Amino acid sequence: MAPEIPDDGDPVHRHQIQTLILAVGILLVTLVAAILPVAALAWFNQFGFLQFPLAFYLLAQGFLFFIVVIAFWFIRVQERIDLARAESEEWVGR
Amino acid sequence: MGWAMTVPSRLRSPNPHLGAYYGIVTSALASLVIILAMFEQLGWGRAALAQSMILVPLGLYLFIAFGARTYLPEDFFVSGRRVPSVYNGFVLAAITIGGVGFLGYTGTAFFLGFDALAIGLGWAVGMLAAGILFVPYLRKTGAYTLPSFLGHRFRSRLLRAAASAMQLPPTALLLAVEIKIAALIAALFLPVSFAVAVIAVAAFIAAVAILGGMRSVTWAGSAEFLVGAIGLVVVVTVVSILLTSLPAPQLVYGGMFADLHKAEVTAGAVPLQPDAFAMALPGPGLQPALKPFLQPFGILGPTDFLLLFLSLALGTAALPSLLARSGVTAHVEAQRHSTGWALLFVAAFAMTVPAMATFVKLIIFREIALTPVSSLPAWLTGLSDMGLLQIADANGDGAIGAAELWIKRDFVLFALPQVAGLPYVLTMLMATSALAIALAASASHLFTLSASLAEDLYRTFAGRHALPRLVAVWAAIAAAAIAAAVFLVIAEIDPLQAALTAFGFAAATFFPSLLLAIWWRRASKWGVLAAMATGFLVMTAYAIFGGMIEIFGAPLSAPLASLAGALLAFITGIAVSYFTHAPSRAEAEYREAMRNPEGESIYDRAQMRAAAAASAAAAATSEQQPAAEPSSTESST
Repeated sequence: MAPEIPDDGDPVHRHQIQTLILAVGILLVTLVAAILPVAALAWFNQFGFLQFPLAFYLLAQGFLFFIVVIAFWFIRVQERIDLARAESEEWVGR
Repeated sequence: MGWAMTVPSRLRSPNPHLGAYYGIVTSALASLVIILAMFEQLGWGRAALAQSMILVPLGLYLFIAFGARTYLPEDFFVSGRRVPSVYNGFVLAAITIGGVGFLGYTGTAFFLGFDALAIGLGWAVGMLAAGILFVPYLRKTGAYTLPSFLGHRFRSRLLRAAASAMQLPPTALLLAVEIKIAALIAALFLPVSFAVAVIAVAAFIAAVAILGGMRSVTWAGSAEFLVGAIGLVVVVTVVSILLTSLPAPQLVYGGMFADLHKAEVTAGAVPLQPDAFAMALPGPGLQPALKPFLQPFGILGPTDFLLLFLSLALGTAALPSLLARSGVTAHVEAQRHSTGWALLFVAAFAMTVPAMATFVKLIIFREIALTPVSSLPAWLTGLSDMGLLQIADANGDGAIGAAELWIKRDFVLFALPQVAGLPYVLTMLMATSALAIALAASASHLFTLSASLAEDLYRTFAGRHALPRLVAVWAAIAAAAIAAAVFLVIAEIDPLQAALTAFGFAAATFFPSLLLAIWWRRASKWGVLAAMATGFLVMTAYAIFGGMIEIFGAPLSAPLASLAGALLAFITGIAVSYFTHAPSRAEAEYREAMRNPEGESIYDRAQMRAAAAASAAAAATSEQQPAAEPSSTESST
């Protein structure tokens, strides 16, 4: 038997859509950020940062800083989404 | 089940003295290093220093594992679900990096320079992907193993058993690789042969895993991670201060690129042209470092770079040993924080590796390249005696060029303190660090493998005559450790290539199937099974026939095979799911419960319901007995 599809006003459905958008968004941004210095290496390497060629710096450090920050940002945003669902369910329960 | 089953995991507090305990571990390591440094100045020999520096920390890990021993299933399989996020992050990072990353990645960065960055990027993105896509949902289910999650998700013992069988190659390969790295270190610095070292390492990790399962693996692994991180940071920071007067190696090594380039040019290192799809990573034996460090895509082309990066990212995200730790924290948020911490530690390591490779290469090339053979530096003799480095004036010009300087990939890291002229105790600190990380990773792989074999294969099909739960896991741990040791004594494997194959197996077999099982409402049991089987078969075909299949004139590589396998698996999973029955209501409800971050884990709730039903039944039986007793008395009279 196929599962029932919840309507748009349902907090469960809203939670799942927001979670999906956040996950896909972060992973896409991460992928683009990783591939960009590889694809446009010559252009990036025209510039320097802390005495590193920029493409090398981005792949060796800059990108890693970026995804650590984005990971903790993701945790914070996802917790807010989870909290909104819990509060909505509690409200509906009352 | 004891108290663990009665108190919801969210309300369980971790041991408040953990900080003090690990402070003591750190202080003990610092004291050991300081004492041995003094003894070195007083004339202690290298053998005594090496034995003290390796054996004393081993005793400490074993002591911690003994202190964490347990017979409670929930402690044994998921460490009581009360491991703080940071400590879980320690062990997750140790598993991701492992001994092969610690030594192999540094060596690869030494030989490939820029091109090696794909490895660190792959781990970091994989950890992020695991934290977003899989880990919180596995935590909510509370399953003890990855196959048991799939089995419960689709109400299928077949799927559970198949997943357990298919997680065998990646986990067993990584187990063998990590034992080999640990044994190589032990055989290099202690007076034991490689075979004896393999047996000793296998016995050590089996003891840790048997004593307390996931609990002892976690607490001993946390200590091992701390030792690994401290050792690495101390040595590389000291070298950075010596070379640049600044204690921030990651920030300052860019300033050495000009000197390094000059030394490389002087030694005759010239820009190289990569062969497409060749994936020519350095091997484990002695070899020259011919590629200039900063040259982009000299050995791995841009396509190979991205293939390696993506394969490692998918493999890390779906690595069974990492995902098996998804149940050890108190709740879903804590598990997300764990992966955040692990990502931070992995990223910090990945940032440090190119700095270490630059330091080693600069010193070696500056001091050896084109130096007359008659006036080579003194540290060369030590490294040659250990078999880490070899020089030969092949062209007879009286000087050593880049092509005449041969180095072993997996021991580049141990050359750093020696070429920098540091006391021998710091070489041993680096060795202890690498050994600690290899032991933490190998114990985790051993436990993951054995717990799955015992729980998902043996006990699922053994029925009522099965051995007791913990006895089955103990037997599986002992058997797996013996099998891995025998395999390593007989077979010759390249740790880096074997690790890439293992990550490839995880990427092709488990990434698509987990993605479908967690994120797609329409995924069916047969679809997920087909996805797993497709990815597994592609990687098995690679493992058997990889050398015979050519892509654009180059042999098929593990990263390319794994990505092709993952793509095929994903398509097969979707197609088969559409052509088979839609998920049942029970499966849909399980998926919805798994996606709800609030509340107790599904597994624990089921256990509590079962316990409540059992106690209710027991109470009903005891109430009936007094009523039945008079009638029996009457009948007897």
